[in-house]
Amino acid sequence: MSADDHSCGRDSCGCSEGNSSTAKTSILDQLGDEEGFHPMGSGWEDEMREMLDDTEYDAELGMEMARDAMRLVAGEISEEEFYEQYHDAVVDEFETDERPMAELFEEDEGEPDGHVAKLSELSAEDVTRRDTMKKVGLGAGAIGLGGLFSNDQNTEDPVSSTAAAASDDHREGDQRYGMVIDLERCDGCLECVVGCIDENGTDRGANWMYVMTWEDQNTEQENFMVRPCQHCSNAPCAKVCPVQARHIRDRDGLVLTDYETCIGCRYCQVACPYGVNYFQWGDPEIPTDDLMTGDHGLSGSELRELSEEERVDTLQDSGDHIHDYRGREVDSRGRVGTMGKCTFCPSRQDGNMGEEYVGTVACMDACDSQGMSAIHFGDLNDENSRPNRYLERAKEMQVDPEDKQEGVIDEEEDIWAPAPHGESQLSAFRLLEEIGTQPNILYLGNEPGPEAEQIEGPVPYDRLRDSRDRQVVDRRKDVTDEMTDFGAAGD
Amino acid sequence: MTREPSEEDILRPLKHTSMWYFVALGIAGIGALIWVAGYLWQLQHGLAVTGLSDWGSGGGVTWGMYIGLFIWWVGIAHGGIILSAAVRLLGMDRYQPVARLAELLTIGALSMAGLMILVHTGRPDRLVWSVVVSYTETVHSSPLVWDVTVITLYFVLTATYLALTLRYDISRLRDDLPGLFTPFYEVVTLGYTEEEDPIVERMVWWLALAIIILAPLLLHGGVIPWLFQLMPSMPGWFDSVQGPQFLTIALSSAISGVIILSYVMRARYDWYHLLSDNVLRGLTNWLGLFVLLFLWLQLQQVISGVFAAPISVGTVTGAMLGHPVYWFAIGVSVLILALIFASAIRPSIWSPTLAVVFSVGILSATLAEKVLFLVEGLQYPGFGLYAAIPGAYFPSLVEISAFVGTVSMVTIFFLVVLKVFPVIELHAVESHDGDHGHAEVAD
Repeated sequence: MSADDHSCGRDSCGCSEGNSSTAKTSILDQLGDEEGFHPMGSGWEDEMREMLDDTEYDAELGMEMARDAMRLVAGEISEEEFYEQYHDAVVDEFETDERPMAELFEEDEGEPDGHVAKLSELSAEDVTRRDTMKKVGLGAGAIGLGGLFSNDQNTEDPVSSTAAAASDDHREGDQRYGMVIDLERCDGCLECVVGCIDENGTDRGANWMYVMTWEDQNTEQENFMVRPCQHCSNAPCAKVCPVQARHIRDRDGLVLTDYETCIGCRYCQVACPYGVNYFQWGDPEIPTDDLMTGDHGLSGSELRELSEEERVDTLQDSGDHIHDYRGREVDSRGRVGTMGKCTFCPSRQDGNMGEEYVGTVACMDACDSQGMSAIHFGDLNDENSRPNRYLERAKEMQVDPEDKQEGVIDEEEDIWAPAPHGESQLSAFRLLEEIGTQPNILYLGNEPGPEAEQIEGPVPYDRLRDSRDRQVVDRRKDVTDEMTDFGAAGD
Repeated sequence: MTREPSEEDILRPLKHTSMWYFVALGIAGIGALIWVAGYLWQLQHGLAVTGLSDWGSGGGVTWGMYIGLFIWWVGIAHGGIILSAAVRLLGMDRYQPVARLAELLTIGALSMAGLMILVHTGRPDRLVWSVVVSYTETVHSSPLVWDVTVITLYFVLTATYLALTLRYDISRLRDDLPGLFTPFYEVVTLGYTEEEDPIVERMVWWLALAIIILAPLLLHGGVIPWLFQLMPSMPGWFDSVQGPQFLTIALSSAISGVIILSYVMRARYDWYHLLSDNVLRGLTNWLGLFVLLFLWLQLQQVISGVFAAPISVGTVTGAMLGHPVYWFAIGVSVLILALIFASAIRPSIWSPTLAVVFSVGILSATLAEKVLFLVEGLQYPGFGLYAAIPGAYFPSLVEISAFVGTVSMVTIFFLVVLKVFPVIELHAVESHDGDHGHAEVAD
């Protein structure tokens, strides 16, 4: 029997993502149970023991440590206790004790809270976890810890903190703009869509902010999907761009298009999994003069020749709505033949519109003005930012599932009652996270599954008009086809 | 009685010009002008004059016929040079007379592919400069930049290859060539001495080796399909069979192109003894082999797309199977394959004219398949929530004119080249002088 047979196959054992909370519950239950301590049951333990017997190390020590590791995670014993209890035995057996706690103990003695934090930090990285297991060298102990580490990781993410998805290549301490969008608060009024059109002067149908109403054939419940650009930290659109026009702005993680560089190959649009890009197929409907460009009269290259201080002053004094603080042409709708999409309003973030607009976006303002407040924009790396504060409050507001069940449980059908559940049941997700894009929009509410279908929303797009009195259009192709038909006739 | 091929034969296009030449030039000229008008229209109004739109809430596809034509032409180009390189590398003397035709087809087709990229971009005015300026950064991550890199490399290889083999011919036939192009001949044969012949022959062999390794690994079996298959967002594309699939389509298209060229040339210039039935029959058999591989790879994709596929893959496969264009491409290919195999048992089924019909059929099928592959890929993205926004794409007249225009321009390219230098190598005639008499007995 090889050790591989027992490695945690995360889909089949209790450690899998979907079952994480259940697994945790059963650990708590079983800790008091004399028959076994492992969530997989005593049969699993027997196999573990057998496997450990095949190694050159002490199987009993391994099993005992695994049991107490479970207690440690359940909070029944402290890390100090766990460390000290086995320190001598571990040194005897392996001639050294390199468990992660060992280092932590040496580093900050007398700060028990810090250990937990550091331990979970360690656990967040696969490599470190594997490394830890190797160092511990105790089969069952490692399996116990390993399984629980994955549980922790899975239950914490993505609800715990929006900071979890920080990009690897994003500098520490930087701003990282993103959103928490509470879909439960959305009523599909489309005001955010109109707010975005007004702000950016996009063509009809180029709905940089787009709201879909959807249902699942199983539930038929009306749900919403509010879809701006996800401003991914690992943005595939920026990766495939052949000319670096699509890029991630260093300072705050905004994913932007430089309209002066873009060649209009549309590869970013092809690579984006979310369909947030809208090409400027023809001349923009709204002329540049109508975009609140300010009156500094300088071109992009002239702006870039100024010192940053001078440039920022110029942009702010004139209320420039096209150039960002670097003097790059990235805001509002693009020129003909370039790619556009939601920008997170860089000229607002850079103070061009005035201090009061920093940290706001047009769609959020529109949503707030309707009293909906479903969109919460801000710096995800700042724990006091609006999205992080909202997330904290949303977690606090969660109703305990047991309360929900009160008065509903039928004695005879008690068997169907969900297991007691201490964790928050807040449903949070990022769109298509499995593709690895590290999106910076966190959604609260129902996640559309593969069978989800878009349906007509409560407010049809064509019932709305923007501030320039243009009709709002749902399907962009209806507009671009006008030109094609004309083109065909003209040929 | 078999005619011996001679220098006179390969010089014929340079010395005689019939009325048909001007008719062909006129028709191709009109075709090219139609496209020029279409493109000017597009430059004036932007890509709004195409049938393209944004995928997602836009309800369209963002890449269409232009990119379809790009893949198609670049496939013909790659297949053409593989054919020519194989002839040189493996000493397949029978096909020596079509080697230069295949190389010229490569140059012409590659130019059209490049042109389609230019036409496809929204800001062609910035294309070269923007790419050059950011090249050192973007070459690390953008498949489109890999594409530009290998295609440039490939163009240089092919042009060098052609230029080297031309030195030998032009220096020997110099006195019989038209005086009009003297400067061109002088540049091509600059510093030529007979001592270089064996060296050039070796260089050409190494170039052929480089091309035959590069083409499947990095070009049409590599970077071109990677433009699509590396996109996890599009389940219709994200599929490791695309490399071999693209390569079989490229080879089928290129052989078809060479068959058509050979057929027309031999009829116009009485080259029945050079581009013999045997050569055409052999090319048809090779066509059969690559069509078989194409269909086999289609089978792989369809089976894995319908059996127990993930929802997104199943959706795009289902859509593909429900599309008449797909069944046109597959139906034509199956029928042609069956006829090619049948003609192996009963040779009387085959005729040179039928080979041309096959070739036109395969070229239509490969173009249809590639455009459909693109469009369906974009219409059925992994993020399926947009499915309620009906996406449809039909190429506009401006885009269709690009097909007419590129075919016309390649035709014009050949018509011009015919009058500048021999399109059949002197080597082909010389080798016929030697050991090739027996090959012509069937005539």
